[in-house]
Amino acid sequence: MSRRIFRIVFRALGTLLTVAILNFILFRIVPGDPAQLLLAGARTSVTVQQMDAQRARWGLDRPLFPDQVVDYLSATLHGDLGYSFKFRGRPVADLILERLPATIVLVGLAQMIAILCGVLFGIYAGWRRGGAVDRIATGASMALYTMPSFWLAMVLVVIFSTGLGWLPGYGIYSPGANIGSTDRFLDYLRHLVLPVTALALGLIGQYVVVARAAMSEVVTEDYMVTARAKGLTNGQMLMRHAFRNAMLPVVTLITLNLGYVVAGAITVEAVFAWPGIGGLTVEALNARDYPVLQGIFLLLGASIVLANLIADLAYGLLDPRVRQ
Amino acid sequence: MSESTVRYSPRGRAGAIKGFLRRFLGYGGAQVGLVCLMFFLIVAAVPGILVGPLQTAINATGDFLVPPSSQHLLGTDEVGRDVLNLVVHGARISLTIALLATVISLVLGTTIGMTAGYYGGRADVWLMRLTDFFFVMPSFVLALVITPVVLEVMGRGGEILGLRPSLFVIIVVIGMTSWAFVARIVRSQTLSLKERTFIDRARIAGSSNLSIMVRHLLPNLVPQIGANGALVVAGAIYVETSLSFLGLGDPLQPSWGTLLSLAQRAGAASAGAWWCLGAPGVCVLMVSLSFVLIGNALDDTFNPRRRVIP
Repeated sequence: MSRRIFRIVFRALGTLLTVAILNFILFRIVPGDPAQLLLAGARTSVTVQQMDAQRARWGLDRPLFPDQVVDYLSATLHGDLGYSFKFRGRPVADLILERLPATIVLVGLAQMIAILCGVLFGIYAGWRRGGAVDRIATGASMALYTMPSFWLAMVLVVIFSTGLGWLPGYGIYSPGANIGSTDRFLDYLRHLVLPVTALALGLIGQYVVVARAAMSEVVTEDYMVTARAKGLTNGQMLMRHAFRNAMLPVVTLITLNLGYVVAGAITVEAVFAWPGIGGLTVEALNARDYPVLQGIFLLLGASIVLANLIADLAYGLLDPRVRQ
Repeated sequence: MSESTVRYSPRGRAGAIKGFLRRFLGYGGAQVGLVCLMFFLIVAAVPGILVGPLQTAINATGDFLVPPSSQHLLGTDEVGRDVLNLVVHGARISLTIALLATVISLVLGTTIGMTAGYYGGRADVWLMRLTDFFFVMPSFVLALVITPVVLEVMGRGGEILGLRPSLFVIIVVIGMTSWAFVARIVRSQTLSLKERTFIDRARIAGSSNLSIMVRHLLPNLVPQIGANGALVVAGAIYVETSLSFLGLGDPLQPSWGTLLSLAQRAGAASAGAWWCLGAPGVCVLMVSLSFVLIGNALDDTFNPRRRVIP
């Protein structure tokens, strides 16, 4: 058991290190001397001495390996992700932390709704295969998960915001809303509806497909026949035997498809000008703000590695066969 | 052992292919997917004949943001270009990117998976460690940082193999970041295949390792590679559309994702110009759905375990 955990944690740290080193390499192959980039805003012409002074100050005169790599890794570990080009030299870590809450709210709400709806529909569809619910849910979820979330977002804006005028399709607050009042909170919730729906619908599609497939396999297992032979009712069979076993692949998917969620969240945020990590990514891409882009990559990489770690550990807890 | 008596005569192979086609085409999903895909492939093959040359802001034929009419079946965009014209030309770009990226991904995945599975030992350990990294890190996230950096290094001008550099980079980056899934499946299949007698027989007959892999292992891996290849295409379309939507595509060779990105920048959604964003989105949806349907049908056909479960 402890050997397994040790191996999983070790592997996760290895992946994280690879992400950081990839980050370092990518940043260094961008053409142009970093010292020149730093002095690009200088009003007067820059002398060679000034350039050398800059190089020495930022450690650029030392060899790439091992000095600069070690510096980079140690700075990253201390939470220093460099400085943004676009946002007037603000620390990248500050920018990311500032934008993170908006994304966490969006992704968290969408995930919760998607897990609840997706698992319920998927389990039911798999339990009653070939029924009306199964046919509709399977067809709809295939369409939902192949559909790019941002396109769904645009369609929702056209229908519910521009067309019907029910919900706002842009930003996080209406302009001129009172600060600190309950109205403002309601306004915030109204702004959340469309982005969360767009993101959740795509995820629901995935969870339905996986939950249904898992359930379809479970119901053909021998222990289900045994359960029926023991005289259990349908409800007892579903809750005691089928549900728990069908949950295994779903739990793995929930933690492992963070990459899909990230792609969805970044593009959906771009549609709604949502001030989260996705919005920051688009701004950084447009301005070629590499430090910010690298910071976001590190954040995404770290969260994905963490999600995988949780999935591996959770799998051991849920499935006693893995523990041995 | 049945293998020793089976003759791979042309007739036997033709019969096997016929049997496979009968089962495969028996799935409703496969039929729908194939018909839909054929339609898009034909459109992508001859866009010039169907709608004339690609319209740009200079040779645009319509007014700005005109709703669909008899003159412009799908309306016009924010600079007066005919949306039908853009979507038809976009089919060529989107399908080219997705299919070429898939070819790269399948070649890489098969080579790495087969090498790891066949040689085993240290090669297996290191290749699988590499595979694990790409399995954990999603193609989209890697492509998001690699693409702009590589573009900066290469420059955005000129053309490579008839493609704008940004599209070429997107193809290569998607291909090189989405093979891990294929490599894992190919490896596990290779592990079981290499224990079979026909491999031993080939080795005793004096075949080299390379020849065993190419002539004996590879043909037996085709079913798995095919079924997963269809799903890789669907994934590639998803990643390409998302990247292009974020502005990494090329406006001179617009894919469906780039069209959606342009529509978004022009505020088509808040202007109520549904025709601008409807057509490219529906195309993306239909093409990826056909690949998923075909992939699932192939999987059902080849995988007897899945055939039991309706």
